[in-house]
Order: sequence, then C-alpha cells, then structure tokens
Amino acid sequence: MKGKALCNFDLIGGRLVDPCSGIDRVKDLFVREGIIYSSIPAGKPAEQTFNIKEHIILPGLLDLRVHNRVPGDTQSETVQSLTQAAAKGGFSSILAMPNTTPHSDNPGTIRYIQDRIKQASKIKVHLTGCLTIGSNGKALAPLGSLKEAGVVAVTDCPHSVRDNQIFTNALKYAKMFGLKIIEYPQDPSLSEDGQAHESSLSLKMGLTGNPRMAEELAVQRAITLSRHLKVPIHISSISSFGSVNLVKEAKRLGVKISTDVSAHHLLLTEEAISEYKTQAKTTPPLREEIDRLALIGGLKDGTIDSCNSSHEPYAEHLKQVEFDLAPSGAIGLETALMTVVEALGENDPFPKIAEKMSTNPHQILGLPPPSIKEGNIADFVVINPAKKWTYNTDTGMSLSSNSPLGGHKFIGKAILTVSSGKIAWCEDSILID
Amino acid sequence: MEAGDIMAIKEWSKNSLLGIEDLSSDEILFLLDEAQSIKAQKTIDGSITESLRGKRIINLFMEPSTRTRVAFEIAAKSLGADVISIAGEASSLTKGETLKDTAMNVQALGADAIVLRHSSPGSPLFLSKIVNVPIINAGDGAHEHPSQALLDIYTMREKLGNLNGKKITILGDILFSRVARSNLWGLLKLGAEVTLAGPSTLVPKEFEKLGARVTHDPNEALQGADAVMLLRIQHERQQASHFPSLSEYANVFGLGRSTFNQMKNNAIILHPGPLNRGVEIESELADSNRAVILEQVSNGIAVRMAILQLCINCGEIRR
Repeated sequence: MKGKALCNFDLIGGRLVDPCSGIDRVKDLFVREGIIYSSIPAGKPAEQTFNIKEHIILPGLLDLRVHNRVPGDTQSETVQSLTQAAAKGGFSSILAMPNTTPHSDNPGTIRYIQDRIKQASKIKVHLTGCLTIGSNGKALAPLGSLKEAGVVAVTDCPHSVRDNQIFTNALKYAKMFGLKIIEYPQDPSLSEDGQAHESSLSLKMGLTGNPRMAEELAVQRAITLSRHLKVPIHISSISSFGSVNLVKEAKRLGVKISTDVSAHHLLLTEEAISEYKTQAKTTPPLREEIDRLALIGGLKDGTIDSCNSSHEPYAEHLKQVEFDLAPSGAIGLETALMTVVEALGENDPFPKIAEKMSTNPHQILGLPPPSIKEGNIADFVVINPAKKWTYNTDTGMSLSSNSPLGGHKFIGKAILTVSSGKIAWCEDSILID
Repeated sequence: MEAGDIMAIKEWSKNSLLGIEDLSSDEILFLLDEAQSIKAQKTIDGSITESLRGKRIINLFMEPSTRTRVAFEIAAKSLGADVISIAGEASSLTKGETLKDTAMNVQALGADAIVLRHSSPGSPLFLSKIVNVPIINAGDGAHEHPSQALLDIYTMREKLGNLNGKKITILGDILFSRVARSNLWGLLKLGAEVTLAGPSTLVPKEFEKLGARVTHDPNEALQGADAVMLLRIQHERQQASHFPSLSEYANVFGLGRSTFNQMKNNAIILHPGPLNRGVEIESELADSNRAVILEQVSNGIAVRMAILQLCINCGEIRR
C-alpha cells in the first residue's frame, strides 16, 4: 500500500520510545482523524488495526539534508518520488536544500516549490533558502523575503561561502530574522577540484584529492564566527575525525554550534569508490576508517547532534560517465535510518535514534519535536527491528538509483510512517499481519 | 591459431590492458619477452608476422598525443591491422555525446580493439565494462600509462639486466604523472627499489604507502642510483601553483652533470618525453650517451606490438 491517506487506525502491542514525553514501554495507540488517543475513543471505529508486537514506535523523524530537484531536474527526482522515498525510509519530515534550478534564492521559487509540495507530498517538507544569490558566495540573498516566504533556514549547501567578509555579513544579516544558518563546511580553494578523499587511495587512482583540511578549516571558521557574532550555526555533514574534535572542543567552551553527519559516512569508507564507482562519489567524500569510527564516537558521545541522508538524486545517465565527470552525491532517504541503526551497533539503538533523528533535528531548526501523546497530531514511524531485507535501488521510490548501498543487506525496516496525522507510507507486509 | 598463440594463452589471459597495477610480475616479464622476440626478429631479417591482419583497431585519443598515438599506429600497422585514429576534437564528444555512447558506436562499427587516451582516471576500466572488445589504456588522467611504463622497463632491462634490487629514481612531477604510477607498480613488481623525488608540492609523502621511498632532496634521491627517470613538468595539469617558476625548478631539481655524477658509473637517464631542455635536464646531458630517451621511443613500437598482439588474440580466442 503506497500512502493511502488513512487517519483512523489502531496500533496494538508496539514499544513506544519517546524521549520528549519520557516514555519507553509497550503501549497501544489509537489514532482518530489524525489525533492520538491512549484509549479507544467511544463511537469512533478504526478503519484498520495493526498488530505491531515487537515493533518500535518512534516520534516522527526529520532529515536535515535532502536535495530537492524541483524545479530543474525532474528526471532525477520529482516532489512525489522524493517524498515517497522519504516516507518509505521512515521520515515524516525533510529539510530541502536550496540548490534547485533556478536556485531557491527568491520568494517566487520558494512559492513554486511550496505549490508542488502541496500537490504531491504526504509528508512535511521544510524549505531552506540560499544564503547568497545563486549560492555563488558573492552577494547576499534576500533573506528577509525568503523568511517571509516560509523558509526555516538558509544555507549554500552543498557549497560554502568562500569570502569571509560576505559570510560574516550573511551571518549577521540572517541573525536579524532569526533564520537558522546551515554551513556545509568546505574551503572551496582546497576542495573544489577534489574528486575523492585525499589519501594514498586517491593518489593511486590518480584522482584529485579533497583533503580533511578543507573541511576542518571551514568548521573552525564556523566555530570562530559563531563565537564572535553569537550566532548559532548548524554545521552539516561533517566527515573528518578532526572536525569531530573541533566541534567537541567548541561545544565544551559553550559555542552555539550543532552538527550532523551523513548516514553513509557512518557505514562506508573511501574503499567504496574503488574501481571508480561513481555511486560512491558523495558530498563530502567518503573518508577512512579512522574518520568513520570518530564519527560514530561523536554521535554516541553527543558531539554530533543528528544524522542525515544527504539524499542527492542523479538520473542514471548522469552517473554513467567517467568518474571525474560524474556529479558528487548519493541517494540515501530509503537507507539512512537503518544505516544509522547498523552503524551504532547497539543492542537497543532506538532511544538514540529517536534523539538523533527526531528530537535533535527539530530543535536545531527551532521546531517543536513531535511527541507521541494523547491529543497530539500523530507523527511517528513504526519499525520492525527484525525484518531482513536487501536494498534494491531498482525497486526504490526514488527516480534515481545512485546509492553506494545497492545490494546491502539490512536488518530492520520502517514499515509505517505517519506524518501530520496521516499514513504516508505503509509496507504491504504489515497489512497481511 | 599458431603454436605460439597456444603458448601465449598459458601465460597471458588478459584481453585488455588497463594498467600495470593489475599485472603480475610473470605477466610483465612474459609481455616484455614477447616484445624482445618481436624486436629481435625485426633486427635479424626485417620480417614480422602479420598476426593482426584483417583486424580493425580504433585509436580513440581524447587528449592530445603525438608519440603514443603514432607508436600505437605503427605497431598496429606493422602487425597488419587496419588503424583508424579518432581525436577528441574531431569526434562526436564535442557534440555532447558521452564516452559511453561513442564507445558503443565504435564497437558497432566493428572495432576489434580500442586504444584509449583520456583525461579521466579510470576511463579505460569504465569502457571495458561497457563494450566487449579489448581496451588498451594509452594514458588515463593521472592514473596509469601502462604501455609507456612497459617500454621504460623494457629499456631499463635491456641496459641494466635483471631489475631485482636495482635503484631507480623517478624525479619530477609525480603527483600528476600517470607514467610515474605505472612505472612504480611495474618496477616494484620486478623487485626494484623505487625512489620518488621532486618538490614537496608534487611528491606527496603518501606515496610511501604505495611502496616507494619519497625524498625532496635530489642529491639524496640520485646517490647510487642505477637509473633516473625524469618527468616533464606538466603545465597543462597544474591548475594551482606547485612551484615558483621553471627556472627555480631547473635550479633546484634539474638534472645537471654534478647531480648525475652521484649515480652509479653505468647509470642511465630516461625521459618519457616531451623533453623540456634546460628544465628537467641540462641539454648536453640529454644528448649524452647515458641518455636512452630515443631508444625508449623505438622500443615503444615493439612493446606496443606485443601488447596489441597478446590482448587482441587473447580476446579473439575468448570470444
């Protein structure tokens, strides 16, 4: 069943893990007209009852980095395919990056995207606007007008503003509107020609390297500017162990920064690009085991606040080219949740997943975290932690198949995603039960 | 199929030559021996077997090249094959066609092998997964240039004998050099000790992880060496400034008589060309009897004949 807009149903026997309301126990839930009840409301029959014994219910997940291709490249992804992929992956909300064509640097484009979302999406899509016009780092985007049009954050992701003066002014200007700033940390003078993580492997393959230094300089710049200007900055998708250390130290000193990591970087290393596999050419590049372990450590000890999918769809023909000509980016919406579960490697990862993928990302954006309690609008995901499945990019909801995880065997799967009171995704298997 | 072919199959099982990293030391030696017998036969009576008669070889050169392209052409023609050379600027790639489509069209036109020169590292491997004909890598970005390394190693063996334990120094722009990488793999597989030398901006220490010694002191690099391979400073690949000027480079890293004298008495000088006289090497040294630069070029024909013959015949038998 693909997203029947069902809003009257019962969930029986699931384990509810909700850090916001401090609940972690087996609890039946009853949803009527999209509202949560803790006992069966009189006179309102359910259209469907789901027996979800030994399943986990987590508050609605929010993905802080998704690359929307509308307008500009509907061969790679439409709003419908993007949001269905998100719902299938367990996300009830996503944050769309502004690198559309044309760029999301003006209210008109934002309104156009909002219209498409209204028509085609069953989940919540929050929008970002560009920090600079065309994300080219040269002139400030109309941040006040973008805010008025409805963006919740501003960023030039997957680029970074090269000029320190312009970046500083952008931070000051955005602060005036209370807009969240998201920095994708890369010093372009060191990274823009980089095809792969700079290492002995990139040397061997003859690929121009993207060094850790390029990221760490930008992370340090964000920390320094956040401290001086007293502007909270969210640093997106860190990938180097040095960045983890910089963020840890900055947080210890009370600097108002937050950070996240792409799920791929918790499971894979640069080895994934061997044989010039363009599917594993990601932004930022996959790095080494020392980085992967530091990122997992940072996630566990609280240095890293959240995990994203860094979903960057590219139609098949765009990736079937020479490695250096292939665009950087991989899809991840349908795999991110279970990738993080696998990378954490814990007996019971779900309280941490709720914190990192629901509570924290909402707080980072200044949005109320969804809580699963009586009277609230239903917004949650049901996970079958024992379900074994193999990721097949051909049967995914995304129009693109550029994932480095094609063929990967996962244990555990999101089987029911409820967003804003309505079922956005439901696996067929749950209905048979 | 002749008796020689059956022998070849036992030792040679590759229908494409994508790089030296994929070859075993036995395969390298087998190919070099094959080249040697081709060269010997040519020297004795000028005759060679036209073992590729009726075969169609496409030289797909997406990057400028003179000596490699011409050497492959001569090699193919010497074996009786028909050769068609396509240059990047004259192909449909300038009309927006992808390499994948160009290659599939070339295959559809009946190519028996594609010799590919391309600026993208890994492009020969990419092609080999798309088309079903032998792919010969004639240089892919900064990744590999196997035919050049094989002719370099051929020349070194001819002059120095067995390379096991020999000290070979590669001096110059290593970072952007496919020749350096292919030679590194080949020389290490044959037991040579390889030193990579040049400015720190062009010779990263990380090369040590691949098995080489790295130094930025040319004197240290050349002390007691059996051979030095000088690499051209590649202006076209250096988008950033990696050294102050050509004259500074010549002054600090150029091979002059005094640095050359630190090498062994019978040491040789190699250069894959094109040569920048007065930059990588003093002009007089380049013309000295220690320089084997032109012999490298001549050997390149026999080595490329061996490559084409082995890969195409092997591919033919497999198909």
